[in-house]
Amino acid sequence: MKNAKQLNRRQFLTAAGAAAASVPYLIPSGVLAAPGRLGANERITTAHIGVGGRGGGLLREVTRFRDAGEVNIAAVCDIDKQRLDNAVKTAGEGTDAYHDYRHILMRKDIDAVVIGTPDHWHGVQVVHAAETGKHIYCEKPACCTIEEGKAMVAAAKKNKVSVQIGSQGRSQPEAYLAHRYLVNGNIGHISRVDCFHYPSPEDKNPVPDSDPPAELDWDMWLGPLRWRPYNKRYCHGVFRWLLESGGGQIRDRGAHVMSCAMWWMGADGTGPVTVEATGTAPKQGLWDSAVLMDVTYTFKNPDWVMTWRQMPNDQLPPAEKRTADELNREIRKISRPGYGAIYRGDKGEFIHWGGDGGTWAERKARNWEPPAGAKDVYKSPGHFEDWFKGIRTGSQTIMNMEAAAGVANLCILGNLSYQLGRKLEWDQANQTIVGDAQAQRMMSRPQRHPYHL
Amino acid sequence: MSTNDFKKASLAAGAAATMTGKARAARRNRGVKRLIRRIEDSDAETRTEAWQSAGDVGAPAVQPLALVMTHEDLEVARAAKRAMWKIVRHAGRPGAPNAKTAVVGKLYGLLGADQPVSVRREVLWMLSEIGGMRAIKPIAELLSDKHLREDARMALERIPIQRAVQALKAGFEIAPEDFKPNLAQSLRKRGVNVEGYPCVKLVPTK
Repeated sequence: MKNAKQLNRRQFLTAAGAAAASVPYLIPSGVLAAPGRLGANERITTAHIGVGGRGGGLLREVTRFRDAGEVNIAAVCDIDKQRLDNAVKTAGEGTDAYHDYRHILMRKDIDAVVIGTPDHWHGVQVVHAAETGKHIYCEKPACCTIEEGKAMVAAAKKNKVSVQIGSQGRSQPEAYLAHRYLVNGNIGHISRVDCFHYPSPEDKNPVPDSDPPAELDWDMWLGPLRWRPYNKRYCHGVFRWLLESGGGQIRDRGAHVMSCAMWWMGADGTGPVTVEATGTAPKQGLWDSAVLMDVTYTFKNPDWVMTWRQMPNDQLPPAEKRTADELNREIRKISRPGYGAIYRGDKGEFIHWGGDGGTWAERKARNWEPPAGAKDVYKSPGHFEDWFKGIRTGSQTIMNMEAAAGVANLCILGNLSYQLGRKLEWDQANQTIVGDAQAQRMMSRPQRHPYHL
Repeated sequence: MSTNDFKKASLAAGAAATMTGKARAARRNRGVKRLIRRIEDSDAETRTEAWQSAGDVGAPAVQPLALVMTHEDLEVARAAKRAMWKIVRHAGRPGAPNAKTAVVGKLYGLLGADQPVSVRREVLWMLSEIGGMRAIKPIAELLSDKHLREDARMALERIPIQRAVQALKAGFEIAPEDFKPNLAQSLRKRGVNVEGYPCVKLVPTK
């Protein structure tokens, strides 16, 4: 059921058209718009695919925009019935519930989808949504294979849809301050960025395969992945620790920390020439992503190096202590110091912690007053707001599909080098691994019928 | 050197070579036995070190490891599977065609009906990474196996040689109706125009 308040643009236009036919007057949208709100014909009608865990968080975020009159939430979808039921309660009366996301894609009244499914679904669902003309917000990392990333970029471009990938660190207020500080040469020429992160977890309590719980559609949870029996250690949430689906910390948080690094280094659209990884494997259990990890990405023209290191907790850089005065000035305490990056320039160093919803810049960037003539950088109005702007105006989103696939490729290549136990050469222009036939095959992964790109 | 002297020298060299070959085989066997013993160890750390070192042991360990992949201790079975993958990843490295050929040969020997489905399924995916011309026929035969046909299809889709496409085409011709859409998906992916069986990826089914 949809109440009048939730009339979407197309329904409004239909209604307005009917009204125009019977009473030959067109009603300007501004007449219907409440003060301080967008007109009804500018509301974006969304649907949510994957509404547990992070997907549930995204749904709650979007309800804020719904309550502010910016969007309508038309539908929610999940393959876990309990999660779906909870989402219907969150989204409220009038929201349709679906098990199969393709029902949503078939609906003409839905403008945009918010995808919060496990990572192995991102590629397929983004491509399908783009092919059906939906604008897309999709959780990070963008993709699990190089080929998925290429298909996502092509589908978004061909269908002219606005895509925002959920590396929301780029939209954080302190990310803007860090970016501005770095591009103005405050630490000089930066030739090295060292990303740090605490280890991926090991499964301390492995369990045998079993029947899936009644509320879960195991076939659809697997989707494009090859079939295997259900095991509790695949889902929910813990899919992150499997190389096939989540890819471990490097893909989960690397898609945040390296996203900031690529943006601030002006390196979106570029890629490394070599990638070399080593790591420590878990000693038991289903999860197979590296517990500790060292990856080196070498970039050329311009020359710089980025590293990704999952290290023991006692080796992580300590968090900067923020004064009581700072905390009173809407500056948040660094609550998650366990990941971030150190930027090393020829005139100094700079640290930022986090890189996702929590992004904290070192004090010197926060206190820096730009002199006259200083360069400014894009300041995101917020990750969702930036996406809405992209939908309404066609502007490029801050974590657009090309940038997000580029960052995901870094994470993917790091894992491939770890799995293969050898250095890889990457050809950015042709988006391919060079001189390693096996690694080239691993750039894609055949998908189960009918869940394919 | 007289003819007799030459014969004697040749025989001696042959015997020495045989001895060297036997010694090498014995060393290989010892390596495989040691690997399996450590894979079956009750200590998780020992098992982990073992599977990580399996790449160097290579092809001779493939079949013994396959036997352990269905071990009743799940962690031992898992270590054996990871050792197999380590061998596959090592054998596929650039500049090691002989190692790859040897491993592929052992792998397609594991696709027969005498092996458990779980082992054959895993082997299909291993062959999808390193299999070539010789792997196509044994994989293609599994397109008619109801438990393994989908994995066999995906393995063929991934092997980047024309023979794999031919195998998919041949499989499509004789496939039952319920499997033809799957094969059509692979063929289209490989650039083949398929009549009928339109793509159903956007059709809701649930």
